Amino acid sequence: MTFALDDFLRAAPRLQRIALRALLALARRPRGAALLARLPAADQLAHATLGLIRYDDHATAVPLGWDAAAVVARGRELRAAASASRKVEGSW
Amino acid sequence: MSRVRRRARERHLVADVCVVGAGAGGAVVAAELAEGGARVVLLEQGPRHDPDRFTAHPPEMLARLYRDGGQTVTLGNPPILLPLGRGIGGTTLVNSGTCFRTPPRVLDRWAREFGLERLADLRRLDPAFARVEAALSIAEVTPELAGRNAAVARRGAEALGWSHGYLRRNARGCVGSGVCAFGCPTGAKQDVGSTYVPRALAAGAQVVTGADVRRIVVRAGRARGVEARVRDDDERARGGSHGGGSHGGGSHGGSRGGGAREAAADARRSRGASGWTRLVVEAPRVVVAAGTIHTPLLLARSGLGGGSGQLGRNLSIHPATAAFALMDEVVDMARGVPQSLYVDQFADEGIVFEGVAGPPAYAAASLPLSGARHAEAMARYRNLAQFGLMVSDRSRGRVRAVGGRPLIRYDLCDDDLRRFRRGLALLRELFEAAGAREVYLPLPQGVEPQRARARDLKLLAFHPLGTARADADPANGVVDGGLALHGVEGVHVADGSVVPSALGVNPQLTIMALATRLAFGLLGREVPGPADPPGQPARPGAGEEAACRS
Repeated sequence: MTFALDDFLRAAPRLQRIALRALLALARRPRGAALLARLPAADQLAHATLGLIRYDDHATAVPLGWDAAAVVARGRELRAAASASRKVEGSW
Repeated sequence: MSRVRRRARERHLVADVCVVGAGAGGAVVAAELAEGGARVVLLEQGPRHDPDRFTAHPPEMLARLYRDGGQTVTLGNPPILLPLGRGIGGTTLVNSGTCFRTPPRVLDRWAREFGLERLADLRRLDPAFARVEAALSIAEVTPELAGRNAAVARRGAEALGWSHGYLRRNARGCVGSGVCAFGCPTGAKQDVGSTYVPRALAAGAQVVTGADVRRIVVRAGRARGVEARVRDDDERARGGSHGGGSHGGGSHGGSRGGGAREAAADARRSRGASGWTRLVVEAPRVVVAAGTIHTPLLLARSGLGGGSGQLGRNLSIHPATAAFALMDEVVDMARGVPQSLYVDQFADEGIVFEGVAGPPAYAAASLPLSGARHAEAMARYRNLAQFGLMVSDRSRGRVRAVGGRPLIRYDLCDDDLRRFRRGLALLRELFEAAGAREVYLPLPQGVEPQRARARDLKLLAFHPLGTARADADPANGVVDGGLALHGVEGVHVADGSVVPSALGVNPQLTIMALATRLAFGLLGREVPGPADPPGQPARPGAGEEAACRS
């Protein structure tokens, strides 16, 4: 399960949040998308946000060679190992 | 009636020095002062982030580790995304870890234009640099760790004969997880939250997270302390202690649901559902290190620093952008250190290239394509390479408060636009020399670099500096060469806001070295070399001395 778009937007400042929600609503409709195509900066922003969420999805990312869960698991192992080695050093 | 019942509780702390902000500047000052024997209170607005809860998912980490979810934007032509870290460690928690000493040509300029001969004196700065470099385990990235994304740019630079090299970073035990900007999952990044803040705590400093500092108290021209407010949620989470141990939701155990709970708590806070505890810190010295964007706001709220008319002005940000290249080889840009190589052939022109990379979500957000072309390029993500372009800007912006929030105004000047035009053309040349099949420049389709307008550029910036700039002359700057606020005793500034000009390189080491200088200046001592192990008093018996010179 990926972090929801709403949770990402909720972190934004209020005015930006409102503006971005409106942009995303436009981008999802054919007539809205056509309108956005005439506003490159707004179009780019909407697609960047949608891309950020879409490609964060496990099912999309793994075939592209990125497995966030594996990266985190490896990080945990390494931190645990470093922590254990510090304890051994400390006990001498 | 209810107002009386819900009146904020009050809590008092007493210290020799109150440090506001636990980022690159504040954490260093707090640790060095505490180890030097001073009683220190370190206040941080954000939480302490637990590495166990880092998920390597960019959207989630942006929302959690960055101010405004990483969506802070400057107003102007063009609008520029300015992501800022929030919490213990500040932006050092989410930056790429790149460390450059301040270039000598920049120091010369500080001495010449701002009368800062003492601050810019390399003989005095060198020990501070060395001390920080030792504390943060700063070392050059190895070619193996740099990954194939860096290898592409390196191949291009070598073919063109351009000067380049591997970057120096503050990392220990790095395995190239590829998510420096989204919370290092191995804990390899030696950010100040995992280095200097623990040292400060070990030396007896009190650290308060969730502390929103409202005012610096000054009476009769002297600092008396600060007034802050702490959400009751934060107070409960802390359990009244200052150890910094489990505060900040560490018990959530890294589950994705933990993020949702934290977001819900944030929403509750933003609705004002919880009360406040008023926190008063009595201290004859205050070090403001709230960051380049928020320090001028705090000073202005306190009625301080406005004498020169420079407070909040002179904002430089090192505007940056990046291009992608489609390669025949598999690059897997997120395998390796994202920022590991630089190309400084054009540094004298104010143009520097540095590595940048990330997981698919990050790449999808920054790939300058849309529609079917975007989808096609993302389908070849494993063959995509990316490299960044940073401009040492002459443009200057301004920060001021509107409705209690910072409003950042910044317009790109013609000189900087010319640098971006040239830089983008050079970046394309770099990728072509490396054998790129296709290069995607961050420009609208059909716009060539030499014809680009400011509004065509898709810019980000990571290095805000200068809004409380140092200048020996009180008429031209906010702080003096000792980083003391002009016209007030006992108020100092130790963050990027004091840096009087763009550096042309990543600024964290400069900020930390200046903070080190300030701390030892307050202790009335010269900065010792790195040979003195961290955590030891500057000299025998130092811990028993009265802390600060006046």
